[in-house]
Amino acid sequence: MMKNKISAILNLKEDDSKLLPLTEKRSISSLPFGCRYRLIDFPFTSLHSAAIDSAAFFIAGNGRSLHDHIRSGASWGLDSSIGGGLFPHTETAIREAVEMSKADQINSFYHDQIHYVIRSKSEYVVMMGTKMLCNIDINALLRYHQEKKADVTVVYKNMVQSSCNASEDETYLLFEGQATDRITNLVSFDKLEADKDKAPVNMDIAIMTSKKFVELATQAGKSKLRSETMLLFKDHLDEITVIGYEYTGYLKNINSIQSYFEANMDMLNEKNYNALLTRGNSIITKVKNGAPTFYSKDAKVKNAQFASDCLVEGEVENSLIFRKVTIAKDAKINHSIVMQGSQIGSGSSLEYVILDKGVKIGEGVHLKGTADNVKVIKKNTVVEPERGVKA
Amino acid sequence: MRKIETLAMILAGGQGSRLGKLTKEIAKPAVPFGGKYRIIDFALSNCVNSGIKNVGVVTQYQPRELNKHVGNGEAWGLNVHNGGATILQPYASVDGEKWFKGTANAIYQNSSFIDQHNPDYVLVLSGDHIYKMDYQKMLDFHKLKKAALTVGVIPVPIEEAPRFGIMNTDQTDRIIEFEEKPEKPKSNLASMGVYIFDWALLKKYLDEDQSKRRELEDFGKDVIPAYLGNGENIFAYAFTDYWKDVGTIESLWEANMEFLDPTHALNIRNSDWRIYSQNPSASPQFLTETSNVTDAMIVDGCYIAGDITHSILSHHVKVGKGSIVENSIVMSGVTIGENVTIKYAIIGDNAKIHDGAYLVGKEKEIMVVGYNEEIGGLTDDEK
Repeated sequence: MMKNKISAILNLKEDDSKLLPLTEKRSISSLPFGCRYRLIDFPFTSLHSAAIDSAAFFIAGNGRSLHDHIRSGASWGLDSSIGGGLFPHTETAIREAVEMSKADQINSFYHDQIHYVIRSKSEYVVMMGTKMLCNIDINALLRYHQEKKADVTVVYKNMVQSSCNASEDETYLLFEGQATDRITNLVSFDKLEADKDKAPVNMDIAIMTSKKFVELATQAGKSKLRSETMLLFKDHLDEITVIGYEYTGYLKNINSIQSYFEANMDMLNEKNYNALLTRGNSIITKVKNGAPTFYSKDAKVKNAQFASDCLVEGEVENSLIFRKVTIAKDAKINHSIVMQGSQIGSGSSLEYVILDKGVKIGEGVHLKGTADNVKVIKKNTVVEPERGVKA
Repeated sequence: MRKIETLAMILAGGQGSRLGKLTKEIAKPAVPFGGKYRIIDFALSNCVNSGIKNVGVVTQYQPRELNKHVGNGEAWGLNVHNGGATILQPYASVDGEKWFKGTANAIYQNSSFIDQHNPDYVLVLSGDHIYKMDYQKMLDFHKLKKAALTVGVIPVPIEEAPRFGIMNTDQTDRIIEFEEKPEKPKSNLASMGVYIFDWALLKKYLDEDQSKRRELEDFGKDVIPAYLGNGENIFAYAFTDYWKDVGTIESLWEANMEFLDPTHALNIRNSDWRIYSQNPSASPQFLTETSNVTDAMIVDGCYIAGDITHSILSHHVKVGKGSIVENSIVMSGVTIGENVTIKYAIIGDNAKIHDGAYLVGKEKEIMVVGYNEEIGGLTDDEK
């Protein structure tokens, strides 16, 4: 075992049903975000900043889209030939279903996780996902965990209660008392004390020693629990010390089209842009060779972000434009997200629209959603003026 | 012994002294171009796109920045099995220090590196030029002509010919005479600094010269005349697309401004012949509410709150509110404060231009701010 070495387990089996059709052929972890990123870039950058060179990830489907993005993991220093590496575990949904039915056997995903952690020779394990979008300093988390001599440390953010919506998949932390950070329960939103203005939302990120992890995972495997980070210790909060570590940076739960849209739009606010994308080490993504983005004499751009290799001749406001997008003269884009390789014809207009990759908007096409009902156009769709949306 | 067909040797040791401040601390091939490239990216990318994956990069003058940029060639896909980019620098040996005395001498001193690859042909390139060229076509020509040497030539306006090394050819493209900067040029075919040599023959010439008068220092001045004198077959391969030698501040500025044109001959967006470079991780470019960006090229990591017209901004440039950047090139990491005016200027990497600064050059007199320079702001007394 190497002192202070951290290994990482990424649970990417996140529920993406409310993100359809964006997640039809990709997981939440490979959702494009903020002009040039995929959501996996955020936890990977956190690992890189903490000099963690080993990670295992667990994903429900075949992970093609994710693999295409991360390849060897070299962009994040996860391809070290000495002691590091990236260990993919795919099709966990199928395996989980099969193995749950067998008696007296530790579920293989727990078996895989335990095996990975032991082989990594790490002293600690950090567990994270991708749908809680954040930029976290794992070294600071480890220092806190060590100082507090906790068995497990869980990351949370204090949200203003009025800003939370009672989403089913969000859990909140209950603490032992005002002055302590020991967690006594994980509850849903409606179980929170209504008179408090703060709601400590669980970010599904935990750190513990490898030894403690093996112990908890063995237990969980025998109890036939689904492999979710919090389920490892949820039922043992009175036996072991689980404490909360407060995160104060940018956080968004990417669990629906609406929250995905809002998170992207949040980046147009300088404070959020700096907090999420440029704090400490800037977010690392797989770099692509592309020409600089060209804004023509006719371009009119206000409050918008772009990746490279775009050709902008139209009007863009309050929007995020990914790589290799062309925007023709007299096209108007407002409050929209346009993903890689899309082409926007002249005289067209987009308002509150998300265009997935490779969408073609014909000349004079007008698409309009609203701030709370954003219109999503599926990947590679060709939208012509008369015929409307054609798949 | 393993054998390869073609090894490319990029000569990247030149200072480019007419680029003034821009080449004070870096070699000319490392000078930034077009927002996200360095000049040498064109030669390196041409090699990869031409299917040549073994490249030696010969450096000498201020090589640190260039060596870091080229690295193991990964950015150009050269870090592959049976391929690679190798930095070749002068070194000291028992025979004394071995500074490269000229283009041919640089090749001679790296003979053992070339022999390791055991190539049929050595493609000698200059790291100083901006162009997209398929060297494979030139190699086909070389083989077809059964040449000992093929020289890449570009037709230049006859009145400019006295500035170049001029090749005079016969009707079969055979070079019959070479004139370095002739007063009365007989042709307009200028040498591009692109040569394909049969390695065995070139090596024979260079080796024999060592035991004689050691005068084969430069390809143009020494080797070509020696080949011609011995009746070797030298052919001229005419290249007629865009080719630019950005030797001066004005020509560097001009080439960048031409590059802004979306119909430019280099066609930089063409994914069939990409120009590769190192790509730093950077956040998306942010054009704020107060920005006004037209006729401009912008690269990732930029934050723009001012007015940008007919200009190129590289990675991580910040432009504050009320500032105007016009007809200028701003290299990476530059911070421009508020209410700054920049016209007809080249701003070097990581320069800091403080609030209210006024930097205005003229079309024929481009203002240059050097790397890391600081302009305006509080004087020492005011601090």
